[in-house]
Amino acid sequence: MATQTFAKGTHPSADDPHVLLEDDYAFYEPIPPYPPRTEREAEFYTLGDGEMFLNMGPQHPSTHGVLRVVLKLDGERVVDIDPVLGYLHRGVEKLVENADYHQTISQVDPLEYISSLFCEWAPVTAYEKLLDVEVPRRAEYIRVLSGELNRIASHALFMGWFALDLGGLTPILWSFIERDEIVEMLAALTGQRMLFNYFRIGGVNGDLNHEFLSRLGDWMSRAVGQVDANTKLLNENEIFVRRASGLGVVDQETAIRYCMTGANLRATGIPFDLRRTHPYSIYPELEFDIPTRSEGDSLARYLLRMEEVKQSLRIIDQCLDKMPDGPIIAKLPRLLRPRPGRAWAAVEGPRGVYGAYAISDGTDQPFRLKIHDPSFIHLQAVGALLPGNLLADTMAIMASLDPVMGGVDK
Amino acid sequence: MDRALARRLEARFEGALRGPARQRHDQTEIRIGAGDVIEVLRALNDEPELGFTMLVDLAGVDTGAEMQVVYHLWSATTADWLRVIVEGLSRDDPRIASVTFLWQGAEWMERETYDMFGITFEGNRDLRRIYMPPDYTSFPLRKDFYLPDDAARSPGAGVRHVERTHSPVDAAPGVLRRTGA
Amino acid sequence: MTALARTWDHLTLPGKALFILIPLLALLTTGLIVVIALFGQQILDILIFNLPIVRFVFAATVLLLLAPPIAFVIIYMEMKIIALMNLRIGPDRVGPWGTLLSTIHGLKVLMKEDFTPTRADPVVFTWAPVVVFSTMALSALVIPFAPGLFAQDFNLALLYFFAIGGLTVVGLLMGGWASFNKYSLLGGLRSAAQIVSYEIPLTLSVVGLVILAGTMSLNKIVQQQGVYVDITGSHGSGWFLDWYVFRQPLAFLIFGIAATAEANRTPFDLTEADSEIVAGFATEYSGMRFGFFFFAEYIGVFIISALTTVLFLGGWNAPFPFPRIAWIVDPGSLGIGLLFVVALVPLLGTLLLAAPFYLFRSQTRWWVALIVGFVLFNVLAGAVFFVWMRGTLPRVRIDQLMGFAWKWLLPAALLNLFVTALGVLVADALRGGPA
Repeated sequence: MATQTFAKGTHPSADDPHVLLEDDYAFYEPIPPYPPRTEREAEFYTLGDGEMFLNMGPQHPSTHGVLRVVLKLDGERVVDIDPVLGYLHRGVEKLVENADYHQTISQVDPLEYISSLFCEWAPVTAYEKLLDVEVPRRAEYIRVLSGELNRIASHALFMGWFALDLGGLTPILWSFIERDEIVEMLAALTGQRMLFNYFRIGGVNGDLNHEFLSRLGDWMSRAVGQVDANTKLLNENEIFVRRASGLGVVDQETAIRYCMTGANLRATGIPFDLRRTHPYSIYPELEFDIPTRSEGDSLARYLLRMEEVKQSLRIIDQCLDKMPDGPIIAKLPRLLRPRPGRAWAAVEGPRGVYGAYAISDGTDQPFRLKIHDPSFIHLQAVGALLPGNLLADTMAIMASLDPVMGGVDK
Repeated sequence: MDRALARRLEARFEGALRGPARQRHDQTEIRIGAGDVIEVLRALNDEPELGFTMLVDLAGVDTGAEMQVVYHLWSATTADWLRVIVEGLSRDDPRIASVTFLWQGAEWMERETYDMFGITFEGNRDLRRIYMPPDYTSFPLRKDFYLPDDAARSPGAGVRHVERTHSPVDAAPGVLRRTGA
Repeated sequence: MTALARTWDHLTLPGKALFILIPLLALLTTGLIVVIALFGQQILDILIFNLPIVRFVFAATVLLLLAPPIAFVIIYMEMKIIALMNLRIGPDRVGPWGTLLSTIHGLKVLMKEDFTPTRADPVVFTWAPVVVFSTMALSALVIPFAPGLFAQDFNLALLYFFAIGGLTVVGLLMGGWASFNKYSLLGGLRSAAQIVSYEIPLTLSVVGLVILAGTMSLNKIVQQQGVYVDITGSHGSGWFLDWYVFRQPLAFLIFGIAATAEANRTPFDLTEADSEIVAGFATEYSGMRFGFFFFAEYIGVFIISALTTVLFLGGWNAPFPFPRIAWIVDPGSLGIGLLFVVALVPLLGTLLLAAPFYLFRSQTRWWVALIVGFVLFNVLAGAVFFVWMRGTLPRVRIDQLMGFAWKWLLPAALLNLFVTALGVLVADALRGGPA
């Protein structure tokens, strides 16, 4: 392939004519031009008889964010996949090491941007364990309330996305009506529609206000009916059910071996939900069920998430009933210097276990913050589920595992 | 805080533990050396009284003096999280056994740790970079990572005005190709 | 600098275009008038001598000229209906109720860069959209839109329709293969498999109808669905119960499903499934070439629903016999004026289509909307049905699609055929001999 030189003034490399860029095609080849570095790479990048590589590149209408998947196809059948990550890598873990403890909250927001509050919840809980801070009960209730709202919004988006990848244009727009209302509510509470920056170490940023409560009350009165209407659009659709059932079946052993958590694990029959198995915050005081299914296919994962939405509505009801009075944030100095130590905290996010491991060395900046993101793990499992399926199912299976590239790439 | 768990662990892994099991809040922490990883984690996973079948997180830590790998495990037998800290990995050539034989899901977590720290996991079939481009030469999360040096070694070095180091000839050879014209 | 050159510099691009076009048109018109004046009689003699050819050329020209406006109307309808199903508004700003939007899209498509990918096969790449569009348009030649208003009527009209319609596969394969793109290749191969396998139930399902009708000529099939007494006696149509949909319901169902697959519409739109293979066979096309593919699809929707109407829903027959209304205007006597009337139809049709949405939204005068709806019912009902399906249904997978065609539709079509043939034999025997 010919290398390209640019006329002066048309490209940055033209400023110094002695600099020659490597020809641009080299960076975008799905087949690495260098010798394979690992055993698995060698195994993947050798073509069998009649197979071809298809690059579902970072720009694609339905990868969930910037994800590149190199597929090895035999006609329409997927033989193997190799996801290539890093297109959205922002180096959050490194950035956090140069910031105050309080500043890290806004930096971890964009990790799983769809469920930002959970991205804040885990590190904040880890810091609170480092500092031995007790969070006021009202703050805990507000955290649970806003977290469950965020969970519903995230599941609504999941439903729309899943249907869109299967070809239905309508459900995503209907579910976005739901999501829009919730997001406006949270904007009234936190000031932001998406990357909320709401939790603080020791509590939350602002108390419930009138606008939030009135919007919430309005919405709750319609919520159950709307959720039912939205899900009926898909549940009773023969084509959707036939596409989704039996697709991407995960059994319990595979799920544990691949470290899956969240709805993907519960769809295989294992009732592992951190809110019950390892309770945190005020969840022990709330009454809700953990829905599980045993089939482990995409339809089960979808139905399970819709049932979780109903359980979240129950939780929100109880939170509103039992909301205590009191302060919304614990008294902490502005400059935080925790004792040297380590703390791990995990919350049950809409996608799975979202964990944060914080190490403090006595200074006012975290020494290490490791984020454990469920989407990262689930995307790995896709590699085990896809082979043998058709190309059309690739996106459907990936969508049913609900990855968010912000979390995958950190 | 599950005291019984700490006693059970200390009883089971007497030789391997470096120091007592420490507990704080809802976490129990044990420290082992790199050579004991396979034995300890296999025991934690397989033995029914311990039953730590779920690997929840695998992290790398650069303490400045040494490198560590931290595993977080969960078991149905106890209410605590178990943290296994493998310490004593050298900063120059950190090597540790891979746990992908127990949990296939650890493969990408180990790839990420390798990418960010340079820790080699022996036994991982696919130890290549996961976030950074394949021809990247630095390990970003190490404490001795220095951004301007890293920028100088990247393929786009010197193209933009802000990326130029003060003396381009100091950058690694082979990146800036002279046309010879 | 002459005044002309100075004026030329001051003009914008559209101005320049008009500046050239208007004198050119004036010149051509005067030239034409002169030629007609001088040689008018001889030209007329030649034309009258070759009347069938003239008629065909005229019909083909009208068809090709009307194809884009029809496509615009259907595209607008699709955008608006799907938007309303999605609880959005859809096109709203360009033109009254957004009606001019699809026209503007058509013009925009002309202005895009027209390129061929580096390693694509230039000849095949260029001719693929032509093949697809022309086969679609050609298949419309035999559809009768009114008594006497058809391009060509021959005994094998139905067979011709299916034969030409099958040639679209060639065009899609050409586009998919010549693009040098794996996505296009997958899309093209999928479409070939899909269209070929759905052609069989499609044709078999109407064979039963052909047995009952005794002819493959679409004109005669429509006539048989109404009591149409020519010249003397009562002009009128039969009741809607004479329509073939009631005599061949299974065939109607199979035809409808297979036709959806033939037209590459949801739920069978894997060839252009944009959540999997970007745009399928049309990934590498841009500008007017993509416009051709786009037009071809919507013309296909129109033609397929027109065919459904002609075959099963009575064609141009009214659903009940109504007394003869004196013709206020005899279209034949309009002469050249007919051309202008015909040119107005797309505009009026678009406005008429837009009106129901406006009317329903303001929730007044529902009876006006009903009248409008009835007027447009016959052909556009099918198109509305296609659009409705697109907005609601997800798409099927390729193996489910093929399985459905070969394992369900084909046996059903064969069953229909046998039952019809058996019925005809039994009916003949009861009557004591063929009617």
